[in-house]
Amino acid sequence: MIEIRIHGRGGQGGVTLAKLIGTTRYLLGESVQAFGVYAAERSGAPLQAFCRCDTQPIVNRNMIYEPDHIVVLDPTLIGPAITTGLKPGGWILINIDQPPEVFVEKYPGYRIATIDATAIARKYKLGTVSVPIVNTALLGAVAKILDFTLDQVNGALEHIGFVGANIDAAEEAYQLVKTAQPTTEADFVHPEVPHPRIPGLVEGNTGILPRIKTGDWATQQPHRENKVAPCNHICPAGNNVQGFLERLAKEDVDGALEILLDTTPFPSICGRVCPAPCMEVCNRIQLDEGVNVRDMERYAGDHGNAKVTPASDRKEHLAVIGSGPAGLSAVYQLRKLGYQVTLFEGGKELGGLLRTGIPPYRLPRDVLDAEIQRILDLEVTFTTNHRVDKAGLVDLANGFDAVLVATGLQELRDLRLGIDDDQAIMQGIDFLDLANTKDIRVDDEDVVVVGGGNTAFDAARSSLRLGAKSVRVVYRRTIEEMPAIAEEIDQGIEEGLQIDYLTLPISATPAENGYSITCRKMELGEPDESGRRRPVEIEGSDFEIHADRVLLALGQSPEVSIFPEGTEVHEGDSLIGTLQTPVFAVGDLATNDGTVTAAIGSGRRAAFHIHHTFTGEQLLAPPHEESDVVGADLMSMHLFEKNGRHDGYTIPAEERRFTYDEVHQGLPDLDEARRCLSCGVCNECDKCVTYCPEGVLKRVGHEFHFDYSYCKGCGVCVAECPRNVIYMSQI
Amino acid sequence: MTLEVVTGNHAAGYALSAAGEANRDARGICAGAYPITPQTEIIEYARKYKFTKGRIVPVESEHSAMGVCIGASMAGARSFTASAANGLSYMTENIFTAGYYRLPIVLVCVNRTMGPPWNIWADQGDALLMRDASLIQFFCETNQEVADTILLSFRLAEDHRILMPALVSMDAFIMSHTLMNTDLPEQEQVDQYLPNLDLPHVLTHEHPVCIGGLAWPQETLSMRVDTHEAFERIPEVYDECRAEFQKIFGRDVGGPFTTFETEDADTIFITSGSIATTTRELIKARRKAGEKIGMIKVKMYRPFPEEGLLDACKNAKKVGVLDRNYAGGLGGLFWHDFRAAAQGKRDDLLIQDYLIGVCGGDVTPDLIEEVFDDLSQRVEADKPVWKGIEL
Repeated sequence: MIEIRIHGRGGQGGVTLAKLIGTTRYLLGESVQAFGVYAAERSGAPLQAFCRCDTQPIVNRNMIYEPDHIVVLDPTLIGPAITTGLKPGGWILINIDQPPEVFVEKYPGYRIATIDATAIARKYKLGTVSVPIVNTALLGAVAKILDFTLDQVNGALEHIGFVGANIDAAEEAYQLVKTAQPTTEADFVHPEVPHPRIPGLVEGNTGILPRIKTGDWATQQPHRENKVAPCNHICPAGNNVQGFLERLAKEDVDGALEILLDTTPFPSICGRVCPAPCMEVCNRIQLDEGVNVRDMERYAGDHGNAKVTPASDRKEHLAVIGSGPAGLSAVYQLRKLGYQVTLFEGGKELGGLLRTGIPPYRLPRDVLDAEIQRILDLEVTFTTNHRVDKAGLVDLANGFDAVLVATGLQELRDLRLGIDDDQAIMQGIDFLDLANTKDIRVDDEDVVVVGGGNTAFDAARSSLRLGAKSVRVVYRRTIEEMPAIAEEIDQGIEEGLQIDYLTLPISATPAENGYSITCRKMELGEPDESGRRRPVEIEGSDFEIHADRVLLALGQSPEVSIFPEGTEVHEGDSLIGTLQTPVFAVGDLATNDGTVTAAIGSGRRAAFHIHHTFTGEQLLAPPHEESDVVGADLMSMHLFEKNGRHDGYTIPAEERRFTYDEVHQGLPDLDEARRCLSCGVCNECDKCVTYCPEGVLKRVGHEFHFDYSYCKGCGVCVAECPRNVIYMSQI
Repeated sequence: MTLEVVTGNHAAGYALSAAGEANRDARGICAGAYPITPQTEIIEYARKYKFTKGRIVPVESEHSAMGVCIGASMAGARSFTASAANGLSYMTENIFTAGYYRLPIVLVCVNRTMGPPWNIWADQGDALLMRDASLIQFFCETNQEVADTILLSFRLAEDHRILMPALVSMDAFIMSHTLMNTDLPEQEQVDQYLPNLDLPHVLTHEHPVCIGGLAWPQETLSMRVDTHEAFERIPEVYDECRAEFQKIFGRDVGGPFTTFETEDADTIFITSGSIATTTRELIKARRKAGEKIGMIKVKMYRPFPEEGLLDACKNAKKVGVLDRNYAGGLGGLFWHDFRAAAQGKRDDLLIQDYLIGVCGGDVTPDLIEEVFDDLSQRVEADKPVWKGIEL
């Protein structure tokens, strides 16, 4: 007969290991017994399990006091008592990441085997997210030392219904277990089974049991640490998306606005025009639909009240050139830090592309003006109609402590198609500038817009509103590659735009009315440096379309003539070494990103760079580690209920194509904010507190306390946290 | 037969479910169930079982569990449930009810120490609390015996000469949670062994009657005498059921008690449950050493097989009773019953009680050896002797 005693902790699978060993021998026709010692304390409590195997019928019905071998599931159980009664020459198999030789002296006279079954269990994801179950790996190790074959072990695992990773774990342990032989004789002591009488009531024992610090049983402990939600990670403006949504979910609109105003001066603007990359990476997409962050930011911006108070004035005086989103963002942050700022704008009003490039039906002017006014209220000196050239830049550098250049993308790509008439072919951006102030009409015209970005769609949709008979957007790639915001494309199509994908205009010839544009069909070839597939012309595919007016939206590039020859323009460092004054490029000029949100982020970073230059103080938080970003795979999605997105009201296409009224009306309430899963960030849902079976987790105010003296490390809090805030560490 | 390696709970769940399924062509199976350690796995097994006809009803207490069984059985369904310790005691009123209604419900008890204190380990005191109900009682030694005795209990309980509930007990954990080699019968065999339940006093739409109404003392007394006479018929019917079991399953389910080396023994130990295995093994060794000792394993506790036990002890001078139970102020109940049986018939017999493994203590061979030694030196009986504690 072989008798094996297993020492483990509740939840590690010790009893099942006994049953697995038993089943292995049962399948060989032996008589077996396998059982555990059960008690009240479950997870984490030290426990013993036993297995007897014999070719003869087993006649013992008691526990095993003098085992042939022992298995230790948990290294914290290693101690002198563990070998009590173990027969000389028996195996001691320990789950530990140490070589067996370490234990040869400690346990004289016994054969030692070690295997890191915990690592194997974690590798094969056996157990729960918080508690690895090591028994099947240890079965492999037992098999190796007791000369069972792998086939026999696999047979037992299959018999009991443990397949897949369990078999892999057993096989890996079978291969990896290390053994060492004894160097001296065992010092065997027969175990005594004491039967003490505990004092009774007459002796004054009122029955109060000794207090057990169950924390002593723990092999792992939970910790709480906020990680990074994907939305916060990706937001080019650096907004705390999760944070403001959490405030909104708790009906604290002012608090939400306060969080937003920390990083952006334009919540109402971005709440309308942001391409919202946050919504594309929202983990909620894996559950039902992503959170409508954009409309919630708009809600906070439109309905919240929050006062921005600048720090006390600093002596440094800075010049900012350009009042687009990047320049204004920089001004905003610099003023908050107490710097004196003078803003130079070449156009007649502040706002740059926000004003000239984005039509009022997407961004009403009162919204734009209000958010610019919030910045001006911080006491900003500004001049308009003041275009700064190369010489002007040197003057500013001499007159100010630092200069920030945020002139954006001024250089427009051109395509004349052989048309001389400046009215018949014009840049979309110039057209929009006129259109936004309603200084142009295109009544009864066939308008052709060339391009696929936001400018193309703004120009096309504006043309509809300004009386065009038809509007065609001609784009040389497919809808997949279109850089415009998806909603804009969809809304444009609803309003009646016709889109010619994979089409390139080649030339124009005057026709009876307007022009006949010769177009060529394209097909997609290999990806270019931007990663998009390069369009390739198809020979002989030319066709004609009619146009009264052609609007060009072919993209823009930085206009760098303001800088000395050979200046490398990039974000961060000061540009011009020859001047004493630091000069920084910011926004599209430096990043060529082309979105408002990226410009806001760039302006903010530039302000912090300048602050760092003057004070040495680093306000810019280091970028998030990718590993800290909580993806959908780390979220416990099964703990959330499905609940579709609130999309708000959009004016029907047939009505809106004739009006400059704002197309999208936003959301009327805060229900959408409550859909935020708060990925990786504790929102005090208190599930961990509720489900802690030991009652060792408490929340006092916003603080959580684990009482580690009683925490058994069961991992229930980790399993119940829907958002991956709690994790386990080995003690 | 399928040889398997299963726990006692698994064996019990299997046998109960197979018996329930075997009534599918009649009124099926219906049972109430409520969990309690260490029997919960039994009702979980049955609850997962896909019965062709009928189901397990989860209820809010043991009392209600037996209530469902009573209603179901009365309506002709095969019915069973399982409980332990304080759960079983909460069921008590309805166990008496089932007995007096003469309903063949099979109840499994995983013997657990009555609390407080909270104790989940083996002690027969819970089942023995039912000793005065009209209830057939069995104690089993192995997982195999659990499965077999459950099937036999249905056959016995449903026999028209008997019609009485039966209780099948096993030791907590030592059996309920211990994997052991066990032959599990095929459904066809169970179908053959357990014909459709045919309750003579079945309650149906066609024959509506009022049950549990007032009965005069003489009427009630007549019912008690009926019950007692049914008890008296049990040994005879048991033997028939045992023979039929042997025929169908090819295995002996064992008698109401089993003797080992008693024929010429001057010292005999009476015990039950898993302790019997260890005791038997130690007796083999003592026999080799020349001691004339033997043992009796009692399987059927109600009705208590008095005459058979006395007959098996006819050559003995000393009887030691190993009781894994304690009745307040008295001692072990197997001892109590055996002593009563010997009263006036074997007044020469030295009958000594040993309270061993009470409250779930591990019964080691050493502890039983101490009992052997104690009895061999004893010249007269004393009060029950506590084992496993230094007084």
